[in-house]
Amino acid sequence: MEHWFTNIAGALVHWLMGLGVPAGWADLILLIVQWVCIIGIVTLNILILIWLERKVAGFVQMRLGPNRLGPFGVFQTVADAIKLLTKQDLIPAAVDKWVFRTAPLLFIVIAVMLYVVLPMGDGMAIVNLNVGVLYFISVGSLSTICLLMAGWGSNNKWSLLGAMRAVAQMISYEIPLAFSLLGVVMIAGSLNLQDIVAAQHNIWFILLQPVAFLIYFIAATAELNRGPFDMPEAESELTAGPYTEYSGMRWALFFLAEYTNLVAVSALAATIFLGGWQGPWLPSWLWIIIKTYFVMMLFFWIKWTFPRIRMDHLMSFSWKVLLPVSLANILITGAGIHLFRLMGWC
Amino acid sequence: MYGKGLLKGLGITFGHTFEKKYTIQYPEQMPHLENRFRGCLQFEPDKCIACGLCTKTCPNGVLTLETVKDPATNKKQPVSYTINLQYCMFCNLCVEICPKSCLYFDHNFELAKYNREDIKMHYTFPAAAAAPESGEKPAEADAGEARKAKQLKAMLAALSTNPAKVLNKLLENEEQTAILAEVLAGDEKKSARLAELMLGDRDKAKKVAIAMVNKELKDRDKAEGGEK
Repeated sequence: MEHWFTNIAGALVHWLMGLGVPAGWADLILLIVQWVCIIGIVTLNILILIWLERKVAGFVQMRLGPNRLGPFGVFQTVADAIKLLTKQDLIPAAVDKWVFRTAPLLFIVIAVMLYVVLPMGDGMAIVNLNVGVLYFISVGSLSTICLLMAGWGSNNKWSLLGAMRAVAQMISYEIPLAFSLLGVVMIAGSLNLQDIVAAQHNIWFILLQPVAFLIYFIAATAELNRGPFDMPEAESELTAGPYTEYSGMRWALFFLAEYTNLVAVSALAATIFLGGWQGPWLPSWLWIIIKTYFVMMLFFWIKWTFPRIRMDHLMSFSWKVLLPVSLANILITGAGIHLFRLMGWC
Repeated sequence: MYGKGLLKGLGITFGHTFEKKYTIQYPEQMPHLENRFRGCLQFEPDKCIACGLCTKTCPNGVLTLETVKDPATNKKQPVSYTINLQYCMFCNLCVEICPKSCLYFDHNFELAKYNREDIKMHYTFPAAAAAPESGEKPAEADAGEARKAKQLKAMLAALSTNPAKVLNKLLENEEQTAILAEVLAGDEKKSARLAELMLGDRDKAKKVAIAMVNKELKDRDKAEGGEK
């Protein structure tokens, strides 16, 4: 069970080589297959995730959540997806058509690009990049521009306000997010996610870096534009922020990308702080799924508990609290590592 | 300590997750209604003494009561009673004032109807209709005629929309019914006569129907002969 997916990939390459395909081409075909698999997983996963979130939201508010379609309402999202797919493709007359159209596509492409470096099992990262953490942070921050494109292209005040909020918030929270990961990188001594997972063989980094995990979690919530930091959308103030003018499939793409980002960020949290794919008895790919879903449940729980924070409070919290704390965390981690080396404990 | 309130909030929502849910699955599961719940206004005609207090007390003019004076006892008797529920605001005044408790609110809250007229609830009093009042008898006769006209209209409609089904009762042969249906479709007078007979004298209607079919067959033979 442990080696199912690696065996399938190996068999595919072997079969292609047997057909006389050169090794480089076989690897490229494997890459495309993996890419398609990721897109499939992402789209199937979102069906479960939306249902799960609505169920959690219902339970937290002492409601039942969706329960009409299928057992426990699991097919509710399928019906919603069909509705969105068959909806009329509306583009308002005054929008900047190219920017308006490309924004959701770019958003989803960037969201899917995050999965390239995530180790989804023992040796199951698509690309074993030695600057994995850096890649993740830099690609992740690109999604800011998609929201700005959506807001600007919509040619609508609320959309633009939402987009501006998104940019301010996402850039501000990028910094504590990166700094919180720096402590872990210093201990592991590598930016490669596989190495970071391997470094957690004895002890998970959440125990060594609890403050970093907290900062990462808060900053990630803000990066994902999720409640209580969903200022860009802020239904009660901005109708739907950058998404106001979008409907049907384009809107669905934004939704899909948001959940895709959520899974990616949760998977990174599981990889960096919760020991990644390491765990007893179960196969490694199952462990990373369990841990990712656990982190996502935390996100759901937080979102449906807290009310939305005010925009200026949000910004000052990032610059005045999270940034100094994350810098102090780096300092203490550095000092600790130095002390350990000095004493010869590691 | 900072963040104490946040943890408390998380604790509350976590607790709620495992508590009993308040949702009632409405169409399948009916909500629990207290005794005093005011659903649809109901009227018990048997108890009514035609005092008219309810109509006077109703602030919205929901209730209308028609009465006649019985010449024998010189007392008012109810003829008809109408509740136009669309204007009711469920204030309970009529229920409170009724001396014989013939008005009450039941627990039915599904009051939506397809037609505006269906909202009205109309009650008539058979006892009063039979009373020896001068204006009553012609009205009854009128009603009888109106009913007959209505039946005739319905029969005609049935003949034009689905003739085979109606004519099957008169004729035993499918071929014959088909021929007769064709005849009737072309001739309004004939179908009107047949419909009237069917309502009145079934046996005569059968004979007429067979005669009509035979005549039509003869006509067709003649027409064919002419062509040849």
